[in-house]
Amino acid sequence: MAQPPTEDAIVIQDVVKNFRKKTIRGEYTTFKSELVRWLRGQRHAALQGSRFIESLRGVNLRIPKGQTVAILGRNGSGKSTLLKLITGIYTPTSGSIQVNGRISALLDLGAGFHPDFSGRENILINGIILGMSRAEVRAKMDDIIAFSELGEFIDEPVRTYSSGMYMRLAFSVATHVDPDILIIDEILAVGDEHFSKKSLAKMTEFKRLGKTIVLVTHDMSTVERWCDQAAWLDGGRIRRVGTPAEIAAEYRQAVSLAEARSTVFTPPALTEGGGALPSLPEGPVVRDEPPASPPVAVSRVWLSGPRGEELGLVTAETRTEVCIDYVARESVEDVEFVLTLSSADGAVLYVTSTRTDRVPLPAPLPPQGRLRFVLPRVGLLGGSYVLSVELKTGNNANPEPGREARCTFSVSTEHDDRGVFRPEHSWVVEEAPAAPVQAVSVSKHAAAS
Amino acid sequence: MIRNFRELYSYRGLLLSLVQRELKARYRGSVLGFFWTFLNPTLHMLVYALLFGVFMKNQIPNYAYFMFVGLLPWIWFSTSVSAGASAISDRRDLMTKVRFPAQVLPATVVATNFCNFIFSLPLMVVLGLIFGVVPSWHVVLFPVVVLVQMCFTFAVVYAVSAFNVTFRDLQHIVMNLMTLWFFVTPVLYKLSTIPEEYRRVLQVLNPMSILITSYQAIFYEHRLPDTVPLVSLLVVSVVLLWGATQIFESRREEFAESI
Repeated sequence: MAQPPTEDAIVIQDVVKNFRKKTIRGEYTTFKSELVRWLRGQRHAALQGSRFIESLRGVNLRIPKGQTVAILGRNGSGKSTLLKLITGIYTPTSGSIQVNGRISALLDLGAGFHPDFSGRENILINGIILGMSRAEVRAKMDDIIAFSELGEFIDEPVRTYSSGMYMRLAFSVATHVDPDILIIDEILAVGDEHFSKKSLAKMTEFKRLGKTIVLVTHDMSTVERWCDQAAWLDGGRIRRVGTPAEIAAEYRQAVSLAEARSTVFTPPALTEGGGALPSLPEGPVVRDEPPASPPVAVSRVWLSGPRGEELGLVTAETRTEVCIDYVARESVEDVEFVLTLSSADGAVLYVTSTRTDRVPLPAPLPPQGRLRFVLPRVGLLGGSYVLSVELKTGNNANPEPGREARCTFSVSTEHDDRGVFRPEHSWVVEEAPAAPVQAVSVSKHAAAS
Repeated sequence: MIRNFRELYSYRGLLLSLVQRELKARYRGSVLGFFWTFLNPTLHMLVYALLFGVFMKNQIPNYAYFMFVGLLPWIWFSTSVSAGASAISDRRDLMTKVRFPAQVLPATVVATNFCNFIFSLPLMVVLGLIFGVVPSWHVVLFPVVVLVQMCFTFAVVYAVSAFNVTFRDLQHIVMNLMTLWFFVTPVLYKLSTIPEEYRRVLQVLNPMSILITSYQAIFYEHRLPDTVPLVSLLVVSVVLLWGATQIFESRREEFAESI
């Protein structure tokens, strides 16, 4: 194509996608129904809107080269349709999609697997279907087999595989295609823990090599950990594009708001007006002022370094302060700030509160203020963590939505230690003491008692 | 049409692998395995030989061989069309989950059955030798007839597979139509058996009769096939193929959505 090279891997402009409803009065289209429709002169009537499902209603999105972009949205919001349009499986009803680079889509694992064939034979055919040449697949065969960790099962028919083995084989082939743009639909969580770690490592390698990745997932921690950008697809349109943390927080809030209003979750494409989630009372993460209802709210939680700068990445030894900014609209007494530290997958690591720690808070609270939670050292292992702070007032033990704020941060490490935290420690190496004497004394002691 | 086939050529690795797999898959797990490629048409032939050669006592010399000459290309054509009808509609996994060149699927069916046809040719020659029929120099024209049949089969399979995505009835219609088509094609009998007044009509309406009689001319009657029908069929086939690829291309975008 004679289009000028751009910095964007994928440019989506005003893309609309409609599907014809397949069940016309519960019948499939047949010669008979077509003939009857034609005789009644309804052929053109069929083209009217009521017979269509509007899946995408005008999507504009630019995905820059080398970025990992997550597409969020609830079930039926058009995410998979968008991915299929990007991949070229579907063609848009109107609008244009420009893709720069070789594209590989992992929409489904094991496309074209034949159950009677061995793993090895299926690698060949699957690899070719995914866009590799025969020579390429042959050259990578050993790598793929090694990555799948199937061992001698590789020469057994695929029908004898467990579902985990099947997925592992399929995933191994899929990740060995060498694309510029990788499209992934909800398949990162494959196999056991060990294998999903390997898969994530493979994804990291893709990122490091500067590949563009478009990812659809419902796993917010994956989004916050892996992606450079997130786009929120709602009601067939892009609702917001921003940093993963922002979008994830806003998405969560909109969902909980919809739940609170007991909105019926109908498939968006079938709903008049797109069935978008309710819009938030105001801005993305509640920053300046809380929603009208709660008298006091945490407006922002963030990590600050020694010079007051905002931190996203720390090491285990960094001196850090967690800054908790709050806003009190009315004079409230008896407030409790609860701070929760959890790992990216949601496991709670530590919970404390101003009440637990007997922190004297001014009563009533000033209209605006900040609490600083000082950590002389972070003391965590490498990885991503979530800090959330919620407010409890009086005897109301349940935190209300909108009163909570959170932030994510990553800890970098050069150590190989494992576990939950990294205690402050040092090692002392001494010359070998008079070991036999000690041993004797211990055994004597034991004998005596 | 050119674009369609150029694309097909660029996916020849895929086509080759799929054909290989189909050939292997067909008899995978069976005891006789690949031997069935020979056994199937032989058994077919024996049934008809018993029926028409022994019970009904027809006058054609070396009847079993005569019939076999027409039966093999017919099997190529009929299995291609009946399997090709659902070639696209049955592969939802490929059409909706990966970017997949749709025309590879019907092409795989035609190519696989073509391979089976080629593999069973030695059987035909051996059968001829048993009856004392030695191939003559006329076999040089065999590739030409194969080419014409290839064009015609491709055209039919493309069109049928494309329509069957939206009209699933077609695959059943085609299956029944094939039985009828088989009996109006001079495979089991000679064209000359048909009364004079119907013969022309049949030849014009049924391209397969031109092809089958051409094979019979080469292998059984040891003469050159009639030029005019064969050349006109070649022209018609190319036109049909062009039309079929147009249909195929225009419906192609709907495939993934309609399956």
